[in-house]
Amino acid sequence: MSEDLVTAGAAEAAQRQVRVQLISQEEDIALPESTGPILVPTGLRRYALSTLVNNLLSSEKPIPFEFLINGTFLRTSIDEYLVDNGISSETTLEIEYVRALIPPLHIASFQHDDWVSATDVLSTTSPAASWASGATFTKGQERILSGSYDGLLRIWNMSSETIATSPAAADGGHTASIRAAKFVSPNQIASAGLDRTVRLWKYTEGEGGFTGKISPQLELYGHKAGIESLAVHAKSNRLLTGSADNNVGFWSTKKADAPAAPENLLPSSNARNTKRRKLNTSVSTPQRGPLALLSAHTAPVSAAIFDAKDATVGYSASWDHSLRTWDLVTGSLVDTRTTSHSLLSLEHLPELSLLAAGTAARHITLIDPRASATTVAAMTLRGHTNAVVSLARDPHSTYGLISGSHDGTCRIWDIRSTKTDKEGVVGESVYSITRKSLEEEGKSDSKRVGGEGVKVFSVCWDKTVGIVSAGEDKRIQINRGEGVLSSKA
Amino acid sequence: MNPKAASKKRKAVTRDVEEEAGVFSGDELSKGNLDGALSDNSKDLSDSEDDESDSEVELVDDFSDSEDGEEELDSDEIPSDTEEVKPTAGEPNFRIVKDANGNDRYLWDEIHPDDNSELSEVDENANTIGDIPLKFYDEYPHIGYDINGKKIMRPAKGEALDALLDSIEIPKGWTGLTDPKTGKPLNLSQEELELLRKVQMNEVPSEGYDPYEPLVEWFSSEKEIMPLSAAPEPKRRFVPSKHEQKRVMKLVKAIREGRILPYKAPEEREDKEEELINYDLWADEVERPDHVMHIPAPKLPPPGYEESYHPPPEYLPDSKERKAWEQTDPEDREKDFLPNDFGSLRKVPGYDNFVQEKFERCLDLYLAPRVRRSKLNIDPESLLPKLPSPEELKPFPTACATVFRGHKGRVRSVNVDPTGIWLATGGDDGTVRVWELLTGRQLWSAKLSDDEAVNTVRWRPGKDAVVLAATAGDDIFLAVPPHRWGFAASRPAPSASEDGKKNAPPTWIRPEAALVDAGVCVVIPLRYVPKTISWHRRGDYFVTVCSGASTPASVAISIHTVSKHLTQFPFRRRLKGGGPPPDRPLPPLETHPLLVKILQPGARWISSFDIHPTSSSASGGDNIIVGSYDRRLLWHDLDLSQRPYKTLRYHRKAIRAVKFHPSGRYPLFADASDDGSLQIFHGSVTGDMLSNATIVPLKVLKGHKITGELGVLDIDWHPREAWAVSAGADGTCRLWM
Repeated sequence: MSEDLVTAGAAEAAQRQVRVQLISQEEDIALPESTGPILVPTGLRRYALSTLVNNLLSSEKPIPFEFLINGTFLRTSIDEYLVDNGISSETTLEIEYVRALIPPLHIASFQHDDWVSATDVLSTTSPAASWASGATFTKGQERILSGSYDGLLRIWNMSSETIATSPAAADGGHTASIRAAKFVSPNQIASAGLDRTVRLWKYTEGEGGFTGKISPQLELYGHKAGIESLAVHAKSNRLLTGSADNNVGFWSTKKADAPAAPENLLPSSNARNTKRRKLNTSVSTPQRGPLALLSAHTAPVSAAIFDAKDATVGYSASWDHSLRTWDLVTGSLVDTRTTSHSLLSLEHLPELSLLAAGTAARHITLIDPRASATTVAAMTLRGHTNAVVSLARDPHSTYGLISGSHDGTCRIWDIRSTKTDKEGVVGESVYSITRKSLEEEGKSDSKRVGGEGVKVFSVCWDKTVGIVSAGEDKRIQINRGEGVLSSKA
Repeated sequence: MNPKAASKKRKAVTRDVEEEAGVFSGDELSKGNLDGALSDNSKDLSDSEDDESDSEVELVDDFSDSEDGEEELDSDEIPSDTEEVKPTAGEPNFRIVKDANGNDRYLWDEIHPDDNSELSEVDENANTIGDIPLKFYDEYPHIGYDINGKKIMRPAKGEALDALLDSIEIPKGWTGLTDPKTGKPLNLSQEELELLRKVQMNEVPSEGYDPYEPLVEWFSSEKEIMPLSAAPEPKRRFVPSKHEQKRVMKLVKAIREGRILPYKAPEEREDKEEELINYDLWADEVERPDHVMHIPAPKLPPPGYEESYHPPPEYLPDSKERKAWEQTDPEDREKDFLPNDFGSLRKVPGYDNFVQEKFERCLDLYLAPRVRRSKLNIDPESLLPKLPSPEELKPFPTACATVFRGHKGRVRSVNVDPTGIWLATGGDDGTVRVWELLTGRQLWSAKLSDDEAVNTVRWRPGKDAVVLAATAGDDIFLAVPPHRWGFAASRPAPSASEDGKKNAPPTWIRPEAALVDAGVCVVIPLRYVPKTISWHRRGDYFVTVCSGASTPASVAISIHTVSKHLTQFPFRRRLKGGGPPPDRPLPPLETHPLLVKILQPGARWISSFDIHPTSSSASGGDNIIVGSYDRRLLWHDLDLSQRPYKTLRYHRKAIRAVKFHPSGRYPLFADASDDGSLQIFHGSVTGDMLSNATIVPLKVLKGHKITGELGVLDIDWHPREAWAVSAGADGTCRLWM
C-alpha cells in the first residue's frame, strides 16, 4: 500500500507540469504568435527545452538555445528554479529563449616577432568601418591591426598575411613599444606606446588588397610617460589616451584642430645625442599637442574610453583604484568612483549603463557610472587567475563581454549568467579561450604560473571576424563561434 | 540485751587481742567466749548501759592494766621464788664445799615443805609508808615501800585477774559444770559450744550458712548472652518424650512398610560421567607469554631482624633515634616503622595503622580508575588572542602574477621604481635590468661588470627624476635609463665637468662609452665592495655600506651627495657592538649622526632589517623588523623593549630579506627565505601607545626554485599596491599580487 503511494507520488512528481510562455526577441527564431502557453514537465533542463523549441520551430538544423527566466539563465531544472525562487508552479512562467553562444573555436594564429600588445579589427561591422564616411569598405576584406612591443604596427588579412608594416623608429616610427593601436577609419590608424607619443598613420592599400602602406601622418606629444591605452571616436575626430604620467590625454586627429606640441617634450629639444637627433629629423612629421590633459588621477591611467553613446563623455580607469568620468567638452572631472583594487582595463556597456573594469585583483567589476547609482560595484565577474587587462563588448549581445587577462585566457561573460556566491551574486564566465600556442606546444594541461609566456594583452571582438586576442606568445589568435556565424549567413 | 552486749564486748576484746597478737587460736576464743558466757561480774552489769565506745575505751584500759598486771605477776613470781628462798636469806642457806677438783661447790639447804617458821616472822612486806593517804601513789605503779625499801607494787585489780585467768590454761571443753547425769565435769565440744552460742545469739545454727553472702541475680531483667541458669533440670529431661516416641514410631513404621530404605553406599558408576558433561573452560588454555606492557610485581626483600617482634637489642632504637624518627615527616622517613621489642608474639598488639591503611588502599582501588586527567575543556583556539582572519585583511599578495626571466644566475637585488611601473633587478651576471612590472617585459639592460655580481639596485625616490643606483664590485653606478622607454628627461645627466670639485676620497668618474650609451652616467669607485644602498627620501643622498670583514670601519659607511658628486665617510669608528656593520643603515641624517639606540635582537647573524614606514612619525611607534640567518624574523617595538616584541619562526631556512610595505596604506610586511618561499604578514601599528602591533601571518608564497642552497634573495614591495616582487636564486623574479 505504501509502495503504491510512493509510486503514485513519484508519478505525480514526474508529471508535475508548469505552464510556460516561450518568447523570443529575435524575429527569425520567434515562435508563431498563435503559440499560447504550453504545459511542460518541471523536470526539464536547458537541453530539453532547447529541443522542444527546435521542434516547435521545426528547423532543419537544430539551433542551441539558452533560456532566460527573469533575466537570468536557466542553469538548473525548472523544478529547482521554482523551488529556489519560491515560485508556485501554478503561475505561468515567461521564458525567453536566445541563441546560445557557440563555443568559440580557434580559427587562426598570426605569428609576430615580438610580444603583441594591441590589436584591432577592420571589418564591415567594426566601429571604424561604421565611422568611415567616404571610404568604402568591401566585405571579405577584413583587416587585423596589431601593435607590437618591437614598435611596429602590422596589418594582416584573414589569410595570415602581413599586408603592411609601419616604418621603423628611424623612419618616423615608434621609438619604443606600442601599447595601443586602433583603426580610426579604414584609412587611418592611431597608435600609442611607451615612447609617450600618439601617432596617427595613413593606411593605403594597393590593388587586390595584398599590399599596403602605413605612413606617418601626425605625432601627438603631451604625455610625460608611456601611454597605456587609446580610444578613438572618429566621428568627432577625437582620441583619448591614458598614460602612466597619471594624465588622460584628449587629442584631435585633425592636424588643423590640434594645438602645437609642447616644446620641451619634443625629442629634438632634449636629445643630447646628435646621432639620435639626426635620426629623428630624418623624417619630418607634423607634431601636435593635446587638446587637454586631464589630470586628477594619482597613479598611472590604465584605460580611457569614450562613452559609447555620447562622445563628449569620457571614462578613465587608473591604478589608483578610481574610475573617473570626464566631461570632455570642458575637460572637467564629473565623477569619481573609487573601488578597492587597481583598475587595468575599461569597457562601456551602453545598454546597461554599466562600466566594466578589469582589475589587478583578477576579476571584473561592473560599475554604474551614473550619479544616481548608489552602489559602487553592481556586480563582480570572477574567474580569471591574473590581472584583467583588456575588455571588449560582445557585438551580438548587449549583455556579453569578453576579457583578456594575464593568466593567458580570454573569458566570455554574460552578465545574466550568474551564480550565488558567499559574496553575493557573482558572474560566471560562459567560455574560456586558452591560447593556441600552449596547445601546440603540448602543454595545454600544464598550468602556467601567472600565465607566463601566454599573457593576453589585448582582445577585440568583431561580429564578422570573431574574437581577436594578442599576447605574450607573439601571436594574434582568432576565435569564432562558427554556429552563430552560419546561422547568420 | 545484757548477754548480747556482753558478748559484743568479749568479741571486741578478742578481736582486739587478735589484732594485737596477730595470731589467734581457737582455744583462746572459746576461752573468751566461755569467759564472757560464764563471767557475770558486776562490772559487766554496771557497764551494761554503756555504749560500745565506752566499753572499748575501758577495754583498752583494762588491757593495759592487764599487761601491767602481767608484769606485776612476773615480778610477783620472782618474789614468790624469793619467798621460798627468803628463810635462808639472812644466813646463807648453802654451804660451800670443795669438790673433788678443789672448786667451790654450793650445796643448797633442803627445803622443808612443812616449815611454817615464816608465818611467825615479821611481815616483811608490810607497807612502810605510814599514814599518808594511798591516793598519793595513784600516779605510780607502786603503793609504797616495804621494810626493805622495796617498792610495793599495786596489787592487781579485777581486770588484771581476768587477764590472769585468761592466761591460765583451761582444759578444753571445760565448763566448770557438772553433768547431772553422770556427775562428771561437763565438757562441751567446740561444735556444741558454737551451737550454743548461735542459739544464744538468735542466729541460724547450721554450719556454713552465710546469710549475707552476695546476691547472684540468676534471673534478672537483664538479658545475658550466655544465661547461666541455675534452674533445675525439668523433669521432662529425664522422662522419655512422647513426641519423640511418636516420631520414632513413625520412622519405625515407615521402615517396616519399606518407605524408608536403609542407607546404601552409592556405587561408583563410570557411565555417570558420560551422562553428565562437565564443561571445562580452562581445559585447553595455553599459557600465554606476558603482555608487553606487563610489569611483574616487585620482589620485596624478606623481612629482616628489625621487623621482628623480638629483635636483637642492637636493632632497637634508642631514645634519640626514636625522637628523630618521630620528628621527621612521615613522607621523609627512611622506614615507616620503628623496631619494637614485644617479648613474645602473644604480646604483639594490633597494627595501629591497620584501619588507616586499609581505608587508603580501598580508596586507591575505588578512586584510581576514576581519576581522570583533568583535561581542559577549553577550546585552545579561544585562548589565542583574537586575530583577524586573513580574509578580512585583504588585499595582500596571494599568487604569482608575473615571472621575470632573463637573468643568468642569481638575481641579487630587486627594486620597484617610485611610480610603480618599472622593476629594476641586478644579478650575478653583472647586469642591471629594468622590466615592465605588470607584463614582465624587459625594457633595458646594462652590463655593469663582467665578473662581478650586481649586489644592489635602488631607484632614487621621488618621481621627478629617475636615477637608478646599482653596485657591482667596488663601484657604484648611477644610471639614468634612456628616454625611449618612457621616462621624462627633465633632469639633465650629470656631466663630467662637475667632477672633482671636492677632493673627496672616491672621485666620481664617467663610465666607459658603451655604458654611457646604455644610460649609465656616473661611476663611484669605492675601494671596498658596497653591499647595500639606501636613498634618502628626498633623493639627494644615498648611503652605501661595505660590509666586508676586511673593510676598515672608517670607510664602511659612505654617504653620497648626488647634487654635489660628493662622497663622505661619516663614521670614524665602527659602530658600537662589534662585528660587521649592519647590512643596511638607518636613513642618513642630515645633521651629524648620533647613535640613538642599540637593539638586542638575540639573533646571531642578522641578514637584513627594515624600518616601519610610520616610524618616527606621530602616528606610529618605532618598529623595526629584523631577519636573521638563523631562521627568525624579529619584530622590534622600540618603545617596548630592546628585545624583540615578537619572534616569528616559520621558515625552514635562513631569512634573506625583510621588507615593510612602504606606503602606510597596507600594513604588510614580507620576508624572503632560502627555503624558496616568501611569507606575507599583516603587521598593523597603531598610534595608540596602549595597543601593541597586531601581527598576523597571511600567506606563504612558493614558486622560486632552490638553486644552490639559495632560495629567495631579495624582496620589494610595490610603492602603492599590495604587490610584492621577489628575486630568486633561480634567475627569476616574481611579481606577487
